[in-house]
Amino acid sequence: MAIVVRLDDLLHDRRMTLTELAERIDITLANLSILKTGKARAIRFSTLEAICEVLGCQPGDLLEFKP
Amino acid sequence: MTKPGSTAPPVAYVSLRILIVVNWLYGAAILGLVIFANSYPAWFMKAIDVPPGMDPKPVMIALTAIASLGLLAVPLNHLILTRLLRMVETVRRGDPFVAANAYRLQAIAWALLALQVLSIVIGSIGKAISSRGFPIHLDAGFSASGWLAVILMFVLARVFAEGTLMREDLEGTI
Repeated sequence: MAIVVRLDDLLHDRRMTLTELAERIDITLANLSILKTGKARAIRFSTLEAICEVLGCQPGDLLEFKP
Repeated sequence: MTKPGSTAPPVAYVSLRILIVVNWLYGAAILGLVIFANSYPAWFMKAIDVPPGMDPKPVMIALTAIASLGLLAVPLNHLILTRLLRMVETVRRGDPFVAANAYRLQAIAWALLALQVLSIVIGSIGKAISSRGFPIHLDAGFSASGWLAVILMFVLARVFAEGTLMREDLEGTI
């Protein structure tokens, strides 16, 4: 997939687990796992906003384009 | 999605199962009639009141052709009924918006189209052998509502396919 979700790296840098993030942004762990593994078809702006707010990052830090 | 307690799918499920059997019985009855009529042509001609002066051979050929075309409708009906049954099953499971149902609708649309063509051919044969002395009234021929149903089914299949894609997108949206 050309768009890579770098959620794993961001969580690692912040010493945060996926479960913890799921609880803080009120998204199920299952859905967050889908996003993390790059299996999601799309991401809502609201989800992006919540993740960026909790992780203190920019959308560009979360998503990377690999041609 | 079905509302809890809705009786429509079970009723549709049972009705379709019955219709599938009835369809094959209808096919068997036509096949039996064709075999019987061709085995005892004289008796058959008398039974359907062919006027004494009329040449029975073209009538027999035409009626056999009509019956054979009627037999062709049996697998087409079966295709429609079984596809509908599978669709009702998906409704019962609670998720009818799947790609398979879009394909099923398209298959139904093609089968309906074939049935309409069959109906026109059967109607034409009936008209060709019908005369003042030997009138034949067949419930076949061009049907505006039938063709409208065909168009509607193709459009519905397309709409369903688009809807299914949108549903998949929505499900993959986090």
